[in-house]
Amino acid sequence: MIEFNSVTKIYKSLLGRSVTAVEEFSLEVAEGEILGIAGPNGAGKSTLISLLLGYLEPTTGSVRIDGVRPRSYIERHGIGYLSELMSINPAWKAQDALTRFATLAGIASAGTARRVEEVIDQLGIDEHRSKKIKALSKGNLQRLGLAQALLRDERVMILDEPTHGLDPVWTQRFRGIVENLRMPGKTVIIASHNLDELQRLAGRVAIVDRGRLQRVVSTGYDQANEIAGVYRIRVAGGADRLAEIIPGAKDTGGGEFEITFQSVPELNSALARLIAGGVMVASVVPARSVLEQQFREAVGATT
Amino acid sequence: MSGNLLRYAIWQLRDFARERGIALMVIGLAISITFIGPMKAIGVQFTENSARQLIVTILSQVALLAAFIAFNGMISNDRKLGYYRFLFSKPVSMPAYYTQLFAVFFAGYLIVFAVLLGLFGLVVFPVFPIGVITYAALVFLSLGGIAFFISSLVRFDWPALGGVFMGTLLLRSVLAGRDGPAAILLAILPPIHELLPLAGLVTGGTVAPLTVLWLLGYSACFFAAGLIVLRRRPFA
Repeated sequence: MIEFNSVTKIYKSLLGRSVTAVEEFSLEVAEGEILGIAGPNGAGKSTLISLLLGYLEPTTGSVRIDGVRPRSYIERHGIGYLSELMSINPAWKAQDALTRFATLAGIASAGTARRVEEVIDQLGIDEHRSKKIKALSKGNLQRLGLAQALLRDERVMILDEPTHGLDPVWTQRFRGIVENLRMPGKTVIIASHNLDELQRLAGRVAIVDRGRLQRVVSTGYDQANEIAGVYRIRVAGGADRLAEIIPGAKDTGGGEFEITFQSVPELNSALARLIAGGVMVASVVPARSVLEQQFREAVGATT
Repeated sequence: MSGNLLRYAIWQLRDFARERGIALMVIGLAISITFIGPMKAIGVQFTENSARQLIVTILSQVALLAAFIAFNGMISNDRKLGYYRFLFSKPVSMPAYYTQLFAVFFAGYLIVFAVLLGLFGLVVFPVFPIGVITYAALVFLSLGGIAFFISSLVRFDWPALGGVFMGTLLLRSVLAGRDGPAAILLAILPPIHELLPLAGLVTGGTVAPLTVLWLLGYSACFFAAGLIVLRRRPFA
């Protein structure tokens, strides 16, 4: 559905200084996929999204949505887009802004008011509908941005830092909204600093740093079988015996230990030995998510 | 022009009214009052002819200034302030959107002049509006293409347009009557000096069709160049 083919974007200043924001970036996103893009500040995420929206042209390489240039696709079909920078005219009222975007999105006149009401209800903006944009808090503005992205049932959704500014309740609700977008024929790209969020929502996460695609991580369970990981084991009794059974265990206090396992089968084997040895295991949790470990490795490798 | 964009015209007109229309009215009224006020105070009796002469005097100040206010940030504001991000994620073509915006601003500009002329008729003397509105329309359209092009190209379009306007007037006064490259330059500079004879339309006179064609054609070329910039140049 979406293709980046050897995309390089170089910004040139008037003084001739050039900065490479994206370099030889290639990635395909399949129809029906939810893809995350993760990377530190300045990694090139925003440039990638601007390229995908056709607001920037690649210096070399190409970007295609459904086989055509981004602007051609968007001018014909539109996309659902939530921008990290919430740029809506501050003098507009929230409801008017949604009505304007619904009109531009091509929602029929007869259905505009109903659809606007639906997204206002879905995103809990009812009490703010008459407020001007400049009077909205960051969180409410973010919800308004999400509401305008959801106005029409778009085949492509691009969400840039979607939970930025949202409180925990709305962060949770946002996850539910994105889960509902997971359906055949709908392609979603989420750029975020929040690895936990990407781990939960995306099927794959592209890790970018310094404009380059460092790796693409699948967030599914099978992948977890393949890689080493640090686990936090809390014991309710027999803590002294744990260190004997697993010599490499690091005691972090309060009955908790951090242990590195090379695979999930190795973890299970160690747990069996602990239980057989009389250790009361209370909980086992990954100290870091698979994605977080991959991110640390990928970004750490270049910094 | 697609249906969704045409329906959006009403919102563009609302924006024009709020962001520019009120300013145009205030400035138009303020300048008009500075001319009309003293004349009324000394009891001048107006006839249709003297009213038309007065309109020419006022319009020579107001029409140009109003056009500048109307053009200010037409495209560049969306780029500068990032409003384009959401607008053009919808199924809308940028050239079509701004062409419609230009047309809406033109309509708004003419409505303002019609209202001002109506007020003039009430306070001073009723004047048949066609000549006045035609003059205002030609000023807008003659400068509009150049303003559109500049706004598509640079972020600070108002000073740039002012620079082009003043620079052209300056060069025309300095290079007038010269031969060679200076003559070629004079020929291709914006024909702003041709705006002056258009005022004859207000007093019932006529204007050479070629002058009007040259003004509008010149402006249309720049308008087309602006559309190409919008199509080709990255917006971010």
